[in-house]
Amino acid sequence: MRAFSLTAVPSVEDAVQRSRPGSAYLAGATTLVDLMKLEVLHPNDVVDINALPLRGITVSADGVRIGALERMSDVAAHPHIAAQYPVIAQALLRSASQQIRTMASIGGNLLQRTRCGYYRDVTTPCNKREPGSGCPALAGGNRMHAVLGTSKSCVATHASDLAVALIALDVSLRLYSDAGTRTVRLADFYLLPGETPDLEHDLRPGELITEVLVPPLDWASRSVYLKIRDRESYEFALCSAAVALDVRDGVIADARIALGGVGTVPWRMRAVEAALRGARAGEAAFVAAAEQAADGMKLLSDNGFKATLATRTIVRALLSLEV
Amino acid sequence: MASSDPAPGGGIGTASDEIRIAVRVNGETRDLTIDPRVTLLDALRERLGLTGTKKGCDRGQCGACTVHVDGRPTLSCLTLAGAVRGEVTTVEGITPSDGLDPVQQAFIDCDGFQCGFCTSGQVMSAVALVRRGEARTDDEIREFMSGNICRCAAYPNIVAAIRQAQEGGV
Amino acid sequence: MLGSSVSRIDGPLKVTGAATYGADFAPDGLVYGYVLTSTVGNATIRAMDVSAAESAPGVLAVYTPFAPLKLLAAAGPLGRMWLPLRDMEVGHHGQIIGLVVASTFEQARDAAMTVHVDYDVRPAVTSLVDAMPDAVIPPVTDGEPSVLTFLAEGVSSIEDALAASSHCVSATYSTPVQGHAAMEPHSTVARWDHGTMIVHTGTQGVDVVAADLAVTLGLDPSQVRVITPFVGGAFGGKVFTSAQTYLTAAAARELDRPVKVVLSREQTFSSTWVRSGTVQKVSLGADSDGTLNALAHDTWAARSALVELPGGEPSAHRTSRSWYASRNIAISHRLATLNMPPNAIMRGPGEATGSFALEVAMDELAVMLDMDPIELRMKNYATVYPGRNVPWSSKHLDECYSVGAERFGWHRRNPSPGATLDGDWYVGMGMATAVHPNFRSTTSAKITLRPDNMAEVSCSTGDLGTGMWTVLAMIGADSLELPLDRIEPHLGDSALPSAPLLGGSRGTANVTSAVHAAAIEIKRKLIDLAATHPLSPLRESPNIRYANGCLECGSQSLDFGALLRMVGSDGLDVVTSTGPGSEAQDYAFCTFGAQFCEVRVNRWTGEPRVSRLLSVIDAGQIINTKTARSQIVGGMIWGVSAALHEGLHLEPTGRLANGNLAEYLVPINADIKEAEVHFLTYPDHTHNPVGARGIGEVGIVGVAAAITNAIYNATSKRIRTLPITIESLL
Repeated sequence: MRAFSLTAVPSVEDAVQRSRPGSAYLAGATTLVDLMKLEVLHPNDVVDINALPLRGITVSADGVRIGALERMSDVAAHPHIAAQYPVIAQALLRSASQQIRTMASIGGNLLQRTRCGYYRDVTTPCNKREPGSGCPALAGGNRMHAVLGTSKSCVATHASDLAVALIALDVSLRLYSDAGTRTVRLADFYLLPGETPDLEHDLRPGELITEVLVPPLDWASRSVYLKIRDRESYEFALCSAAVALDVRDGVIADARIALGGVGTVPWRMRAVEAALRGARAGEAAFVAAAEQAADGMKLLSDNGFKATLATRTIVRALLSLEV
Repeated sequence: MASSDPAPGGGIGTASDEIRIAVRVNGETRDLTIDPRVTLLDALRERLGLTGTKKGCDRGQCGACTVHVDGRPTLSCLTLAGAVRGEVTTVEGITPSDGLDPVQQAFIDCDGFQCGFCTSGQVMSAVALVRRGEARTDDEIREFMSGNICRCAAYPNIVAAIRQAQEGGV
Repeated sequence: MLGSSVSRIDGPLKVTGAATYGADFAPDGLVYGYVLTSTVGNATIRAMDVSAAESAPGVLAVYTPFAPLKLLAAAGPLGRMWLPLRDMEVGHHGQIIGLVVASTFEQARDAAMTVHVDYDVRPAVTSLVDAMPDAVIPPVTDGEPSVLTFLAEGVSSIEDALAASSHCVSATYSTPVQGHAAMEPHSTVARWDHGTMIVHTGTQGVDVVAADLAVTLGLDPSQVRVITPFVGGAFGGKVFTSAQTYLTAAAARELDRPVKVVLSREQTFSSTWVRSGTVQKVSLGADSDGTLNALAHDTWAARSALVELPGGEPSAHRTSRSWYASRNIAISHRLATLNMPPNAIMRGPGEATGSFALEVAMDELAVMLDMDPIELRMKNYATVYPGRNVPWSSKHLDECYSVGAERFGWHRRNPSPGATLDGDWYVGMGMATAVHPNFRSTTSAKITLRPDNMAEVSCSTGDLGTGMWTVLAMIGADSLELPLDRIEPHLGDSALPSAPLLGGSRGTANVTSAVHAAAIEIKRKLIDLAATHPLSPLRESPNIRYANGCLECGSQSLDFGALLRMVGSDGLDVVTSTGPGSEAQDYAFCTFGAQFCEVRVNRWTGEPRVSRLLSVIDAGQIINTKTARSQIVGGMIWGVSAALHEGLHLEPTGRLANGNLAEYLVPINADIKEAEVHFLTYPDHTHNPVGARGIGEVGIVGVAAAITNAIYNATSKRIRTLPITIESLL
């Protein structure tokens, strides 16, 4: 860990004012302190934003607004979210451990860094951490890596479970900077690695996530987050599926599907959604539609199984929603 | 919510300016002058002599360093001492002066540990679970306790201990 | 007392955080060290730029091979150890190549990050499969020739025996490199106290560390004392004195300041010890009734380029050598040299890996013969140790099988693989044999009877989580006929009477035997004191006997404390040593078990989960049933871990791809459902007077095979490589 200054700020305005190149905001600390110890991140100034008034979960006809500093466990436990958006609650509860869920903010969760072992080890090359240095994962050790949205520069998997659920629900983020506030769709917020894997999101210098805006979707009450991993808990996904299903008289009226653990960003499966629409709900339709998920996957030496796993994960998630 | 710009980076090998903090630990206010790099875990162990809290990984990957901050289970290894607000309770603080917390007694009765190195963290998670009246089924207990790795693998006995403490009506 | 269920007497210390592990010691004036490790796998260090580190705030010293701490190359009790900073050679990624000492942990850690190292890098050899052609046959494996063949009369070779068998299975199995991953990272606190080196470090043998430090620091053995009352897990990873211990002690002496070094979690993986991976070829030839005609087991393991150590995962020697009564047996062991961390022993060294190959092969043979796996094992039940023609001191493995089958509901197993579905989960059952050898070693113990009516029981052994604190108190109470609360146990201090290294499941049987012998001695000495001391009220009384802490003679009774007070003694003590006797030639000594499991594999996504585990264990006299049960459960979960989770991945550069607790997977609480243990209790008085055998390792031995066999039963997929992960079951 390199030397830094630590300052707490009382307001959003102060936070943004205090921000400068080489500074970092500190919320739940679970990503920042970890990566500072590894010297992957080495801010000069750490700006503690935990006193900012970015709390609260507000339910209205426009959906749900979640303050960015709300903790993961508190969001998961919120009765309206648990009942109306089980996919969000489950994605949160299948993340990390109860301690980390208690500490981590949802804004921070959405900005968490990849778990790619090369990104986390400063003695190895990594284009995301050190642009132009190379990507060892292309050659091997890539079982956990992405098969969608990859580039010759980077195949690191996006790590957030919550983001997968939120992408499926068409969530937007409210952002604040000294240029004012703006709203960005989460789907547009994350950037594909391309030639610049160091640029992960559309957050301007000093800009803060202030709120997560979840639009209304009445049939999201029938939704699920299925996470497949080598052990039962406390592990990142090999593959995960956020699925919501609107079935009327046995026919699929609409579906939302996003996958985690397979993309460089959380991956919306619009082709699968389209294939499901109008079909009679059931294993045959689910299997046929899920096949679309493997389209366009670029398989690496150790993660070829993710093509099959992704389609099966979708099918299993859909089956779990079938009444 | 780290919007961090990796460049140009903190000083290499330069001194951080020490900061003065007052942190509430186990009911007492402790004044410390520390380097901002000091985690709550290292402050407890190396500055305050509270060595019950253990460093198993220093990365948030094992749970051995679990303490409570305002009653909420918190990984002290990922918490900067200088950013702590609220009341910190460690395993030393959870222990009544005249004996043991029912969770501690249940861990002994059910042999919920072997080497004991992860036990402080296990006990802190278990006390939070029991006090908050959360997990009621064995599977819910197992999930809640999955952030505390026990390499001796006392897991079934830990679940039994939590059951005993819950049934004791804490 | 023996065999009862006693809560750990050290429990209150552990649940309140008051138990002091190595890194919890904080002598006045403590400073902090942080080790530097190599970032290449095979190289010569050309230069190290330590200027930034040396000028960093708080830094007191930077030691490197260019500015080393003086360590003398000499053999300690376990042979000659690799010592850090003695030359420029790098044999594996993560090798310790320096030490930074500073006033605070943060200063030392962060200064260490600034050191720049230039290497002349050579290609690293990291794949066992690639290195197999260059493997050599070590002169000795597990105390016997590395290539061993036992052929029936008239049989010319194992190949002929296999060819002459009506049924034959032959397959290659492999297991990965594994790390011990004890929750307590390796750490050392050392203090140079006016010519005496006081060290606190998690170890499986305080005596070994003390002796190693004495020879490497050039001190008289009396000048080194190692005190470690609590060890945060070891599992074989703390058998050998670790490199950071030598550096910490040497730095403490050089700086004349107490120094603490705690390895980071990543360093505990890369810079201490590992279990070698294995490749194993097993061929079984049988008659149609299942009688084994030929058993061939050839194994390959690795040793580190850095250091030659005995062991090297003798998989066939610890399993196929003696487990079944095959007419013909041929085993071999070969070692390849890799640029990997040194391989030490790890729980069930040889057995845990060897049983995976042998016991899965047995399952494959049972399938081929359409025979129940237990019946096949009973058909080949060994009653004499092959090649030695001696019996086991006490063997009830047959009863383990039958009791286990009954308790587990083995009869409910569907012998047709892939045919049982519960919802979306395939369900299967599997079983395997577990055997672990027992060793008697010279062990000393001291008993001190005190005027306050307390008895001290002392031995330099340790408690790795095994429950030794309680075992020591229980055997003291049992053999002195006293209640538990009148025993004060002492352990974990090299100044105490010498106990063997805590390895090979030898702690309990050896320590209890020594205490048992000491109790006989101290009673004799006490009676003698009562009969002869001028101030004794029982002076010259005939037939004084000892019972329940009292000296009795006719109607007179006097507790030992009273006698000691009357004669003005401040304590009566004996130190007694015990060890193996002539029985070692006449018998073989093993702990036995039958292990069962039920697995579930999701039919869509393939993840394997273990739903039930059972071990039936024949380990002689169990001392403390409560802690013994826990130890077997822990061993079984280690087996789950080996089967489904663990594997350290060595990259071609030698870097460990997953040397941390997020990616080196061990089970978490949610992975474990039911785990049951049943002990048969046949005290083994041939082995030792207490009748106890070891239990620390047997719990892991058969589980990986049992799970693999259960997965076959569930899915009809036969997996021969560990760990078994989703991709092989999709």
